[in-house]
Parts: sequence; C-alpha cells; structure tokens
Amino acid sequence: MSSVVERVIIVGGGTAGWLAACVLASARHAAGRPLDVVLIEAPDIPTIGVGEGTWPTMRATLAAIGIGEAEFLAACDGAFKQGSRFDGWVDGSAADRYLHPFTPPPAAPIGELLAAWQATASDRSFAAAMTAQAHVCDLDLAPRQRTMPDYQGAANYAYHLDAGKFAALLSTHATQRLGVRHISDHVVGVIDDGRGGIASLSTRQSGEVAGDLFIDCSGHAALLIGNHLGVEWIDRSHTLFNDRALAAQVPVAPESLIASQTVSTAHAAGWIWDIGLPRRRGIGCVYASRFVDDDAAEATLRAYIARVLPDAPEVPVRRLTFPTGHRARFWEGNCVAIGLSAGFIEPLEASAIVMIELSLRALAENFPASRDAMPIHAGRFNELFRYRWDRIVEFLKLHYVLSRRDEPYWQAQREATSVPPRLAEMLRLWRDQPPSAWDFPRVDEIFSAESHQYILYGMGYPVPAGLTPGERAGALLAENGHRARALAAALPRNRDYLDALRPDAGAAAAR
Amino acid sequence: MTRHAVLDKNVHRELRVRTDAGAELGDDIMATLTVPSEFRRVQAHFPILFRRETGRADFAAMALFGFESGENLFLDGDRWDARYRPLSLAIQPFLIGRPASDDGPGQVHIDLDHPRIADAVDGVRLFDADGMATPYLDEIAGRLGDLDEGYRESRAFYDALSAYDLLEPFSLEVTLDDGSLHSLVGFHIIDEARLRALDAEALGALHAAGHLMPIFMAMASLSQLSVLVERKNRRLAGG
Repeated sequence: MSSVVERVIIVGGGTAGWLAACVLASARHAAGRPLDVVLIEAPDIPTIGVGEGTWPTMRATLAAIGIGEAEFLAACDGAFKQGSRFDGWVDGSAADRYLHPFTPPPAAPIGELLAAWQATASDRSFAAAMTAQAHVCDLDLAPRQRTMPDYQGAANYAYHLDAGKFAALLSTHATQRLGVRHISDHVVGVIDDGRGGIASLSTRQSGEVAGDLFIDCSGHAALLIGNHLGVEWIDRSHTLFNDRALAAQVPVAPESLIASQTVSTAHAAGWIWDIGLPRRRGIGCVYASRFVDDDAAEATLRAYIARVLPDAPEVPVRRLTFPTGHRARFWEGNCVAIGLSAGFIEPLEASAIVMIELSLRALAENFPASRDAMPIHAGRFNELFRYRWDRIVEFLKLHYVLSRRDEPYWQAQREATSVPPRLAEMLRLWRDQPPSAWDFPRVDEIFSAESHQYILYGMGYPVPAGLTPGERAGALLAENGHRARALAAALPRNRDYLDALRPDAGAAAAR
Repeated sequence: MTRHAVLDKNVHRELRVRTDAGAELGDDIMATLTVPSEFRRVQAHFPILFRRETGRADFAAMALFGFESGENLFLDGDRWDARYRPLSLAIQPFLIGRPASDDGPGQVHIDLDHPRIADAVDGVRLFDADGMATPYLDEIAGRLGDLDEGYRESRAFYDALSAYDLLEPFSLEVTLDDGSLHSLVGFHIIDEARLRALDAEALGALHAAGHLMPIFMAMASLSQLSVLVERKNRRLAGG
C-alpha cells in the first residue's frame, strides 16, 4: 500500500460529510494537488438536520469552496444571523433579555470601554453600547446591502439555514463542480490496515472501497471512530444537563418579519430555540429529562409557539434524544471524526457547524502528505480539539451559572460540583479584571474574550471596581450611537432583502 | 423625465435612495456643474472649465469627467474612482426648491423619477421610523445648502470676471495613444495674461470680494487635464 495520501473516503452525507468533501476537494484543488475524494452515504438514513445556525466563519468557508452568496441563500432558504438573544435567562422577568452579537466591541481596552459604558451610556445595554449591531437586530435589518461584494457586510454576520437543503446544495456542488465521487450504499464492514488504522470499507453493493484517509461523518452512529476503532466517549452531562429536544417547523406568513438573531428563551428546565427563515421558523425545546418529562416539555413548546405565532397551524413535533459529550480522541490512526461522531453539545451557541469548519480547516491546512506523518498530525489535532470542546462546555455553562432563576433545574446548574474548575477560576478572576485575550490566548479561540464579555455583562455580572474611562473609549461608544442611526437608514429589512433573491416570493420588486 | 416633489417626512417616510455609483444611476455624464466656493475641493481631482449656460449670456463652471457626451472616466463599473464627488452630483436626486418670487430659505425637493429612487432592498432611508431625518438626509441637506449658497454667490463672481474680461475661449485637441483625436470646444478658461496685467487696485478689489482664490483654483485645476488624458488612454488600453 502506498504511503502517500491520495484518496480520502468520507462516510456519511449530512452537513459534516458534504462540507468535508467540498472543503478538502477545493483546498487541494486550489493548491494544485487534486485529491481523490469519495463520499459514501447510506441511501435511507435520514440526517438529523437540527443545526440551523452557523457562525460568521461560514462566509469564508462558502467563498473558499466557490459557492456564491445569493445562490447559497436562495438554495437553502437561508437568512442572516447576527447573534443570539437570550430571553428570560437572568431572572425570567418580562424585561429580561440580552444580546450576544457577532460584532465585537470597539478596538479599545475592555476596561476603558466598561468604565465609559458605566459613566456615559449605562442607559443602554452592554451590547447596545458596544456595537451598532444591537440596533440593527432590534429593527430586523439585514447586515448588508445588495450592492456590497459577496460575503461582506456592514456588521459581522452568519446564517440561519435549512440544514437538509444545505446538505443537498453542498452535495450538488461537490459532485458536479469539485469532482467528488458519491457512492450511495451502506458500509457493512471495516478492514484493518494492520497498524491501528483502516485499509478499506466493505459496502453492501459497491464492493470494497480502499482509501488512505477516512473521515467519519456518520453522526451519532460513529461507525468508524466509535464502533470500529473503539475510541471512548467522554460524557459531559454532569456539567450540561440537557439530554432531549423537541423540534418543530412552523410556517410563517409571506410578509412576516424575519428576526436578525437566534432567540433562546429560558424555561423552567431548559430553553427554547427560535430561528427565523423566509418560509418557516424552526422552533424547538431543549430540556433535561431529569427535571421535566416529555409531555410537559411539549406543552411548554406549544405554549411558546402559541404566544409568538398565534395564527400558526398545529404542527407535528419531533422528539430527539442526545448524549452530551465528545470522543477522547478525534483522530485515531488514519481516521478523523468530524461532526456528531466527534461530539455533541446542546445547540445553545450553534457550535456544531463551526466545529465542523474548524476541524476541516485544521485538517486541510495540515493535510498529511503520508501515512507516516499521521501520528504527529493526530497528536496535534487531538490536543487542539480537546481544548476546544472544553472551552465550549465552559462557555455554555457560563450561560447557566450566571442565572438567578430559582427553579430546581436552574439551582442545580449553579451547584459548585457541576462547574468545571477552570470556569470557576475564571469567574473568580473576572471579579477583579474583565475577560481578555490573556484568558483565551489561542489562535482561532472558539469563543473569544469578547463573546465572554457579552454574556457576562449582558447577564449583569459586576464590572470590576476601579476602572477608568479613557477619552477614546467614550468617543468610540458615542460613535456607535451615530453608526446605529446610519445603519438603520442604510440597511434593508431581512424580509425585503431575502424576498428579492427569490423570484417566487413576489413581495419585493426585483430589479 | 422628472417629477419633483417637496420632501415630506410623512409622504416619504419609507423612501430609499441609492447612494452607490453606476451608469444606470445617472453617473454616465462627461461633466457636472460646480460653484466657485467648491473650486478648492474640485481642483484636486477634476479640471474646471467655464461654459456659457445654454441660450444665456452668463457663465457657469463645470467639473470635467470625460471628453465626449456620456463618458465618465471616473466611473469604473459600479465604483466611483475618485476621492471626491462634486456637490451637484452628490445631492442627486435632491434639489433646492424655492418659489419664483421668494428669496427666503429653500425647501428640499426630490425628483421621484430619478433612477436613484430605490425599492425596499437597496438604498438608504431618508427618515427613520419616527420621522426623524436620518444621518444621510442631514448630510444631503448640508450639501444642498452649500451648493445653493455657492450658486447664489457665483453671480458676483462671474460679473467680476466679465468686468475685468478674465475669461478666454478654450479649445483642446487631444491625440490619444491609439492615434484618435478628441477635441473639447465651447469652453472658456481664465485668461492668465489679463490676470497678470491687473493692477494692485483691481487685484485688491477681487481679493476683498473673495474672488481671487477661486480664480487661482480654477487655473490650478487645468493640470488635471493631463490626468484625464491618462485615464482615457488607460481605458483605451483596456486597463
């Protein structure tokens, strides 16, 4: 067997599998060293299709694999996502809401910005003081104008999308434009390569498929990394309790407003996601079965839908069970796990798709030239992604520990034994100094210091004493106010922007 | 066609105007009006030439963008390729309206048939949801005021140029790299010889009235003619 890596076999055809195919094929094509990429997808296994929020990283990913923005938005029923809003997370009162926008605070020391916020703009929320994007979100506006070049905006943004349609778009792009070979078949066996890796896969009808590198995108089934290679699963449910979800798709009226952010509304034993697309809203209830039963959770979900969309028809609700955790290693031998096979954490900050992108970026930019170098790559990859899963767990936990809600679920979330030690240390430190790059020193930190600032000060964590506002910080916050007005004048509403992309929408006059 | 209306925060609450550049937005013009108070800003980018207003005896100044009708060498597809947009272009589709008899403050008018009038997707709003002028409209109003004031002051400027006979006819023949010949005819420029010949008293009077600076700015702007020729040659070369 050749030691040079020339052939990649991807198992699984959901978002992870098709993104892997597109990214690896286009990256190697761009580098002038085309790679043989094969994707094996079982014909009758439905994809989970819950992950409907991306991160801003998706813009660079789509641009790199060569899909135009308008094509992407139209094909996936996409909409713009400019952040997440958290309703009812602090105390559950009517006015309890805060925003985690994608645009970071102005470029000035955070201590000075915090002091300036308290001194001159305390009537505004932390997010509204730090970025004009908060105002843009309030008004349901798009982050860009149509005349801007693809993937550029007046504010940082990502997407909401129909995950099923996204996988279909990527599949067409991969097979028709990037030369990826698609095998629609079941994997029924794995043949060892005799040195801790995989030589080939046996399929039901397509014979044996050999490869140099295998990517496990088979979802929770984890056919290669789990079933065959037996890499252990690390359970994180003692920190993050949610283990079930109910998912619904609610149709919306043609001219209805489309929100600029994911709305996450806390309930007695979890939270409800609400994602606006042009034709429907994806609404779902995440909960911990230890604290609430399925029927009560469904009643909570239906009550929410009745409140936000009173005219909506009765819709079916899909029940999902999920483990919270990740593999001990993500790269074993010549197999890399990407997507749900690598790990899953509740979708509170839409970390699923971005973890796929980060994995692919790490793989594409450190692509193993030969089998011999793989142990080195594997060691680095495993260390990096273990770090990232730990940071995700801690960042999500932060949303719970800062709450003051008093239901048993929320009290349990704050119990010291459930809080990771590093997070407990950070929280102690953040009483004296705000989160900074000192706390998150790596390249491509999954959740930056700025993200932590938005959660911390959005939820009312005390600002450290003794900070002094610089003159510049005050001016920057004032500038945000002017910028908010200018953006409100310049940006179109999400509904108008997105309808103009779809000839069948009929509402907006397409030019 | 034009269809003018007085701008009204209730009628035009939702109206949007496109602020980008493009031939389809009316930017495919070889020149635009400029006023003496603006010469200083214009001369750094465009040649300023004088022309008799059609059918009239008085002069007006033009910032030149090209050599033939419809040619704008500062328009590169949908990009405005200069660091300045003369006021008379930047205010479109707005204009100052004033009753014929009245010399009082003008009103902001808008041409509702102008190609810059946008739909809900493109363009910038004039009023926010509460009917407050947006920063964009504030900026437009400022520019309209500047242009209107500059235009009103210009009569005295051209009267002075006539009184001292400081304008001379100007025609330019340009041979381009590809051998083709372009000529600019019907324009005037400052007569430098006559300007030099003015005595201290005349110069003092021109200076006191604020005309001397725009005169020199217009003269300085002629160095932009060679820049314009370069642009034309670049375009011919396909660059």
